[in-house]
Amino acid sequence: MKFFKGKEETDATAFQDNSKDFFELLKRFEASNDFLTFQFPNEDGYTISYFKSLVSAQQLHEQVLAVISNQPKKDLQQLKDDIPMEDIKETTDISVIKRLVLAGSIMIRYKKSDGKCLLIPCGQSVKRQTSIPESEYTVAGPKEAFVESLDTNLNLIRNRLPIPELQSKEFRVGSISQTRLVVLYIDGIVNQQLIDTVMQRIDDIDYDTIVDISFVGQMITDNRNSMFPQLIDTERPDHLASVLSEGKIGIMLDGSPHALIGPNTIISFFSSFEDYFQIWNLGTSFRLIRLFAVLFSILSSPLYVAVLTYHYQVIPTDLLPILISSRGVIPFPPILEAIVLEGTIELLREAAVRLPAKVGSTIGIVGGIVIGSAAVEAGFVSNVLLMLVALAALASFTLPIYQISNTIRLIRFPFLFAAQLYGLFGLALCSAFILSHLLKLTSLGSPYLEPLYPLRLPDFKDSLIRLPFSKQIKRPQFLRTEDRIRIRKKAKTQNSQSDIDE
Amino acid sequence: MKPNETKLISPFLVFFLMPGMQIGVGILGFERVIAKEAGQDAWISVIISGLIINILLWMCYKILGRGPQTLDLIAIHQDLFGKWVGNGFNILFILYFILISIIIIRTYLEVIQVWMFPSVNVLMLLTIILILVYSYVVGGFRVITGFCIIGLIIGSPLFLLNYFPLKHAHFENLGPFLDHSFLEIMKACKKMTLNYLGFELILIYYPFIKRREHSQKWAQLGVVCTMLIYLVTIIVSLAYYHQEQLKDVIWATLTLWKIVDLPFIERFEYIGVSVWMFMVLPNVCLGIWAASRTAKRVFGVRQRKMLVFILLVILVSCFFLDNRNKIDRFNTLFSQIGFYIIYLYIPLLFIWQSIVYKVRGHKP
Repeated sequence: MKFFKGKEETDATAFQDNSKDFFELLKRFEASNDFLTFQFPNEDGYTISYFKSLVSAQQLHEQVLAVISNQPKKDLQQLKDDIPMEDIKETTDISVIKRLVLAGSIMIRYKKSDGKCLLIPCGQSVKRQTSIPESEYTVAGPKEAFVESLDTNLNLIRNRLPIPELQSKEFRVGSISQTRLVVLYIDGIVNQQLIDTVMQRIDDIDYDTIVDISFVGQMITDNRNSMFPQLIDTERPDHLASVLSEGKIGIMLDGSPHALIGPNTIISFFSSFEDYFQIWNLGTSFRLIRLFAVLFSILSSPLYVAVLTYHYQVIPTDLLPILISSRGVIPFPPILEAIVLEGTIELLREAAVRLPAKVGSTIGIVGGIVIGSAAVEAGFVSNVLLMLVALAALASFTLPIYQISNTIRLIRFPFLFAAQLYGLFGLALCSAFILSHLLKLTSLGSPYLEPLYPLRLPDFKDSLIRLPFSKQIKRPQFLRTEDRIRIRKKAKTQNSQSDIDE
Repeated sequence: MKPNETKLISPFLVFFLMPGMQIGVGILGFERVIAKEAGQDAWISVIISGLIINILLWMCYKILGRGPQTLDLIAIHQDLFGKWVGNGFNILFILYFILISIIIIRTYLEVIQVWMFPSVNVLMLLTIILILVYSYVVGGFRVITGFCIIGLIIGSPLFLLNYFPLKHAHFENLGPFLDHSFLEIMKACKKMTLNYLGFELILIYYPFIKRREHSQKWAQLGVVCTMLIYLVTIIVSLAYYHQEQLKDVIWATLTLWKIVDLPFIERFEYIGVSVWMFMVLPNVCLGIWAASRTAKRVFGVRQRKMLVFILLVILVSCFFLDNRNKIDRFNTLFSQIGFYIIYLYIPLLFIWQSIVYKVRGHKP
């Protein structure tokens, strides 16, 4: 009982402090020069205050000031009914006032000394038009991408999934930035435990300014030190809409033109959304090519180092003369040669990203052709390695998700050192180390290497290979969805084995 | 002391754990040992010992399935022999699991020394491998199972290499059929034991299987799968090598990889030995995991601490096994121990448990 009593007391004191706090808040607002306070329509009229920089001037003139100036002074309750705007609040709650004024509301008080005020939402924010996706561009398929405005993004998704089960839960993250964050999912499909996990982790976010969704991504992933991304960062509304209906969760942040998707398996980072725009056999082939490209990109130069340092016996006799003539004049061991070249490629990439697009392409040409051939002529690196490294770089560009391509870029270096240390055996050791990491990794609680381990054969239908839509009857098992069935209608079984009748 | 529900594995994964644990370094050179005893009839002893292992596996399942509280060997020992004597047996088993790990790891290191890096610093290589083992074992039983499966997936293409020796095979080498006496074939069976060791770890990881009772058929199938792999290997070797020649080839399977003839790769054994690591290391991880788990249950200390201690023991003991002769002697000794443990101890335990339960009037 004592506990409750104590609580009441503190509530009461808080209430008394309220009005004092309100004027303190006003004083803090007025410290900024873009905060206006004036009496309207005359000296005895209402006190109106707002941030000039946040409020739409047109709305203010047409819908607020025009209404007030045409009628005698009434109290706030009546005024609220007269103004033709939605969601007007009448409150003394200081935290609400603070939040809404800072979001672009107009504050109207009856007298200047009043603590009670009317808040009219009249915000205006600068928005960019939706544009075509850049990092996930596809030749086929829709050409719209998310923008920085959360409401526009939600609109894009709602238009694609017009069902009431699509639910969005809003949070505010960041102690200073107070950024709006939305968790999207389809109720009835998604696993409830998954939502709880995600909400719990978002509640635990503790940082001052959350600028981009990638901040959130780093804060809510399972293993925050892993080089392997566990949440996909997409800019395509069609991608998000399609995985939502699969039973995944989407997270969007105001001010970020990307959405986070989870949980994922490692395979989903190697599958482009374009695989689904093509017929399944083509889609599968391209997916496999991409997987091969990744392996090639990681292993080609380490294999070169391993074989040339320790196991030259592995090279067939016919190939040996070519290698000898290409490497004969080079004064460095293979590892140095490889590090020089890989380093150059990394330099070029980093430079090309930082420069504006037009200059960037020049850098590519200068770097690729001029530096490459000059290095070979000068006898610093061999032709064969130059070819391998260039091919590896090319192969790493086939990756559809930006985050994983960065991982692949960097992971090559441990392999290089392992190859120098123990040759082919070193490569095996290094891959075993990475495998041990991948086996332990989870994405929002579900295993990262999923259809491979834990071995779930049905989930292979959309992982390494992509089977036709008619075979995708059930949702992936690793999402543990509440509604497992995707296709309700039974396929027509009659006359399945048709004979040659013609 | 049951493990958490989320840490369990599906029963059918036992199918992969069996060959994952049984096939390791042994298969690289078991042909010489058993062909010495049984000649061209060695393949019969592979089948016979495989079948015996299946029976022993059935006994293991019987032992494990009798009581709801005695789900693993540690609890069974304590139940049958009392706390002190039971724990004595448990400590013997810890030593046995550590021995398995040492023997596998040291033999594989020897393969690397002989076939890839004659002058490699064994201690450093061993340290790196043990760190790798540590990173798997701290992941727990699920991660090790995953390593077994992925190891089998990565290693299995190497079985296709049998195609190359088959091009030069002389199947008449396999005749005359049943030319050796029963005793000789049984001797070969005894020698074959070492290669089937590892199935008895089911006594430790049984509580980690979901719907345990249904896992037996998968375990039996797994052992049959191991047997088939050994069978194909021994038949290919017998058909490829001449009997006299086979007596001198220490690593017969490995030597077969040498004749692999691909347009872009020569001397395939360099790649083979490296990739084989994915078949060997799961054995070591599982062995060390079993040892550390048993130690945790017996001494009541944290498994992580026990793991570090065991890894250090292995590091030190491999330091003393520094030449071929010692390793060979150690191998032979271990083969004896393993033989008695699985052929003598498991049936005895089975019978003893039956008697004790009958006396106590225990109902299953």
